[in-house]
Amino acid sequence: MRRCLPLFLLLLAGVTGLTGANGVPPGRAALVAALLAEPDAQPAALRALVGVEDEAILPVLTAWKQGEVFLYTGADGVRIPFRLDTAPDDQGRFAALAVADGRRLLDAEGRPLSLEATALKPIDTDGAIRRAMRDVTELAALVAPDVATRVAAADRLGQGLKPEHRPLLEKRLQVESSPAVRRALHVALALFDLASGEPARQLAAAAVLEEKDSLAGATQLKTLIDQAASQPNTVDSAVVARAKSAVYSIETHYQVVNFVGTLFRGLSLGSVLLIMALGLAITFGLMGVINMSHGELMVVGAYATYLVQDLFILWFGKSGTAFSWYFVAALPAAFLGAAAMGLILERCVIRFLYRRPLESLLATWGVSLILQQLFRLTFGAANVQILSPDFLMGSVTIRDVTLAYNRIFVIGFAIAVVVALVLLLTRTSLGLTIRAVTQNRTMAACMGVRTDRVNMLTFAFGSGLAGLAGACLTQLGNVGPGLGQTHIVDNFMVVVSGGVGNLFGTVLAALGIGAFDQVLQPWLGAVMGKVVVLIAIILFLQWKPGGLFPSRSRNLD
Amino acid sequence: MQRTVLLSRGQWMVFGGITVTLGVVLPLLNVLLVPGHPLQVSDFTLNLYGKYLTLAVLALGVDLLWGYTGLLSLGQALFFSLGGYAMGMHLMLMIGKRGQYKSDLPDFMVFLGYPGLPAHWQPFYSFWFALAATLLVPAGVALLFGFFAFRSRIKGVYFSILTQALTYAAALLFFRNDFTFGGNNGLTDFKTVLGHELNDPGTRRTLYVLSVALLGGVFLLGRALTRSRFGQIQRAIRDSENRVLFSGYATAHYKLFIFALCAMITGLGGALYVCQVGIINPSEMMPDKSLEAIVWVAVGGRGTLVGPIVGALSVNALKSWATRAYPDLWLIVMGGLFILVVLFLPGGVVSVPGRVSAWWRRRQARRTAAGVAVAEKPVPAPGEKSAESASTP
Repeated sequence: MRRCLPLFLLLLAGVTGLTGANGVPPGRAALVAALLAEPDAQPAALRALVGVEDEAILPVLTAWKQGEVFLYTGADGVRIPFRLDTAPDDQGRFAALAVADGRRLLDAEGRPLSLEATALKPIDTDGAIRRAMRDVTELAALVAPDVATRVAAADRLGQGLKPEHRPLLEKRLQVESSPAVRRALHVALALFDLASGEPARQLAAAAVLEEKDSLAGATQLKTLIDQAASQPNTVDSAVVARAKSAVYSIETHYQVVNFVGTLFRGLSLGSVLLIMALGLAITFGLMGVINMSHGELMVVGAYATYLVQDLFILWFGKSGTAFSWYFVAALPAAFLGAAAMGLILERCVIRFLYRRPLESLLATWGVSLILQQLFRLTFGAANVQILSPDFLMGSVTIRDVTLAYNRIFVIGFAIAVVVALVLLLTRTSLGLTIRAVTQNRTMAACMGVRTDRVNMLTFAFGSGLAGLAGACLTQLGNVGPGLGQTHIVDNFMVVVSGGVGNLFGTVLAALGIGAFDQVLQPWLGAVMGKVVVLIAIILFLQWKPGGLFPSRSRNLD
Repeated sequence: MQRTVLLSRGQWMVFGGITVTLGVVLPLLNVLLVPGHPLQVSDFTLNLYGKYLTLAVLALGVDLLWGYTGLLSLGQALFFSLGGYAMGMHLMLMIGKRGQYKSDLPDFMVFLGYPGLPAHWQPFYSFWFALAATLLVPAGVALLFGFFAFRSRIKGVYFSILTQALTYAAALLFFRNDFTFGGNNGLTDFKTVLGHELNDPGTRRTLYVLSVALLGGVFLLGRALTRSRFGQIQRAIRDSENRVLFSGYATAHYKLFIFALCAMITGLGGALYVCQVGIINPSEMMPDKSLEAIVWVAVGGRGTLVGPIVGALSVNALKSWATRAYPDLWLIVMGGLFILVVLFLPGGVVSVPGRVSAWWRRRQARRTAAGVAVAEKPVPAPGEKSAESASTP
């Protein structure tokens, strides 16, 4: 009798589905049937949903599990399962929405029904029902609209290895169009084959797993190899050999993937370093001023971003699309904030110290101490929290390499800054005067260039770049008063090893040091990696004391 | 060549007077008078002064490099800490079974699960080995680094930046637990030195007197060095290295020598510092510590031997007071002080009397010879001289 029940219910579902000439899809009808069934029959009724493609199944089942599906018995004795609307009306009541078609239920008089959530008794679940639900949800996920959900479902089914799932996977493979899901389905099917114990199918499965570079496949292949080692005659020797080569190939692939991923992270870190170092290179190379407070100017940019974020939260709230745009507003704010600070610094301190690098180093260190303490007094010693805007969250995966959007953005932004800087230096009159002052200050002054003003603007511009770097850094890490100090040594290294005043050298050195640092870190740990980088730079300067591209000059000093 | 005297008669008297006051009178005031007496110097104060004096040794090391040779090393805190660590290792081993874990191994090694004492710790059971290490380890590092740096003619700011990187890298290394030097916490909880309890006022007094002696000795050594032929070349290198080079002097050798010598001096200072402070950890070798030492020299007056001592003592006294009275504002005060000194008082505090008297003489000359006043040219402070030469390309 029990065995017949599902059939009966399926029939019932079919009937209701057919009677639903008003457009109730088959999945929902079956769902309603399952909800209305006797508790004993509910698991079987639920299993009838397996393989039915309907987007509505998943949310309803989730709601059921959480006790958010209720039963309404109309005047004519018809029972209708329903859910409550998400938001209450002004009397604190919720509109009742039918599970079958999502329409509002009507009471006896034909008025829309509103109910109080506390007065309702949800449809119960028990262990058997929840197990059945899990089966259904797993399979329902296979037809979910979201690609990532489908991939995850295929992965899960491949791990689960339940024989009854195999036909469903095959069926899905025939209609599936997304390459990522197809790949996951292939892998899942190959895992089924691998577990089948037939040498021919296992060989084919190993080939598929190798081709698809499946990490889960590698694990399964390894257990197979282990099994062959412990119980020799259970696995075919050809299969073992094939499995070994497949594992090797897959592992090599992931080594490459990890390496590229690390390189990418290094590149993004190098990009921040680059934006910051460009500012330093300008002030150091073009003006002969060592600015130890450059790191703090960067922190000014980071805190400016923080302030803009807080303003946006104040105006627009934390959720909502408007908030995401705070970062776009924060970039100019960070630039201007740091540039203004740089301007003050230049007028009050730096301008007395042109061409006296040692003194400028000392005085700006004093400035950096003062700024750090001011940050601590204003924003507190703890790190401040900066949320990423929506469009910088998430990532894209290309050939198993995960590229986070925020890192892609930083790299792109650095490229934009470099291009803008090159254009500024070569295509504008300010750039022309900057280069003139760099080459020969006295001569430029004789030709009528107001060197004092050029210095001022250049310094402010360099500081603004530091501010931009700070804004970018908020997307990659924490922001605290000591942030500048952790980056300043790296920055000087970039400027020195790139060749002072050479922007191209700075670019190469920043990216090189950033990538080198990240590549070494997995092997040596964060600290040793840094130490090795520093030692490498010291040795590199033995070989090229002027950096990558030393500035040519007939001056001895 | 003219015969140079170390100190003139009057200077000897002043030097002797100050040394005796610091090294004899203060300890006597500590021993003989009962606590609470207005003239009594408490144990705490004496210990604090001892700490300042070792910091003054560090400042002298900075000044011999920066003020006299034009090498602004941001790595002096590293040499100071290396000396400190060498002595700290010995003191650590002398704790014996009196540590928290009652083990022969130092506490942190027990805590981190070391199987036994690492081989490079073994010789530090000997005090004399540790003492030698306080001199030789900093000197070795300085020689190695200096050899590479001076060979490829790294100078000026580049030298500063590289020494900063060196000390930063070393600090990162020492922060690591598996570097066998106690990681973050460093070395601490010392009990005895050469069998004497470190908590005992008598031991502390002795350490204080030793600090006075070390500072006095380093001062005289610096005096002898800077007044010798070597000192002349030192200053010549500071003012125009290329001229010295073209005159046939291997400037790199001179620089290497003074760099290593200063590392040794600084290392000794660090050793005495650790004995008196009772702790050494990697934050002592961060670049800011070097910069702080440079502040003392700049404030006191670089290119003089008295300046760094005055600077180290006064700035540290100010720091001790201000960190307690205005903990939030101290860094701002120090930063501001530094900016002001660099901008307006390149000769430091010790140049103030000279400046005032020069100003007074100018004023007098103007008054007496009104009309045809040929204003006497002020004697430029040593700091100014180097600043001017640095600014000429």
